[in-house]
Amino acid sequence: MRRAVIVGAGGLGGPIALALGRAGIELAIVDPDVVETSNLHRQIQFGPSDVAKHKAHALAGAVVAAGGSARGHVTSWTMDVADALAGDAELIVDGSDDPATKFSVADWAVTNGRSYVIASALRYGGNAMVGAPGAACYRCLFEEPSLEAPSCGDAGVLGPVVGVIGGVAAALAIGLARGDRSHAGSIVVFDDLRTATDPRIVRFAARRGCPTCARAPLSPFELPVRVAGQKGS
Amino acid sequence: MPTIRVPSALRTFTAGAADVELPASTVRDALAELERRHPGISARVLDGSGNVKPFIKIFVGPDDIGGLSGLDTKLADRDEISIVPAIAGGA
Repeated sequence: MRRAVIVGAGGLGGPIALALGRAGIELAIVDPDVVETSNLHRQIQFGPSDVAKHKAHALAGAVVAAGGSARGHVTSWTMDVADALAGDAELIVDGSDDPATKFSVADWAVTNGRSYVIASALRYGGNAMVGAPGAACYRCLFEEPSLEAPSCGDAGVLGPVVGVIGGVAAALAIGLARGDRSHAGSIVVFDDLRTATDPRIVRFAARRGCPTCARAPLSPFELPVRVAGQKGS
Repeated sequence: MPTIRVPSALRTFTAGAADVELPASTVRDALAELERRHPGISARVLDGSGNVKPFIKIFVGPDDIGGLSGLDTKLADRDEISIVPAIAGGA
């Protein structure tokens, strides 16, 4: 594994990028926004001197300063630019705060045969979903973006929560980079980190009719994958 | 008695309770009992036709009910039901 794309350079993207960068993975960091003072309590990769700078560039600078290799891209992740951003990456990690972006990242990864992690955090908890070629995908799990799902900007997030979820997402991503597929097709869920730090790891089956899996070069329905703990299949 | 683990986003309905223990023989029964005790919560989980909303997953133990019998999945005495919504936050 040589290259990965990090989508989102905020509270989740920061710890993910710093961890993957120090693991020797060359990074492309994608985010259209600039650092704001209100971000600093949870986006600990930034300091007051970064305010008004582009997050993608500032985070890439932090990765490079720590001895890694990274390049910032000041743009949103869309299908129009996905090939240019991720064409040579083996791994995509999403830490964005936009439901449509998460689905877009997962859809692109699945249809292009890449491994990926989708990380999310809100209020006191969050989750990280792991995908790899031939495994059930993010759209198998959640089917479509929710118009009801609040973002951190709407509902807030406890600062350390993004550090925990980002660290877990980074560990899962490094596992994928090492070729470990043991968590592919599963989601690691932390309900409320104020009261419990043990996650639930739940596996899910590929969904018949999933439009993304139908376009995958390696369909989960063509593999005799035995998923531990799964009933009825 | 089965237990429903309520995600933090829905705990405004349960007065902050993370776990709700209730008598139920199927997932459908459990959600109905949850709604009886905490009115309004099922509308966040089920659509107008009574199906699980597409951006929400329900697990019994480690298993997605979609791979079992859906809302009619039978529950054992100590089963744990998890409601996992898609969440968007990250920034």
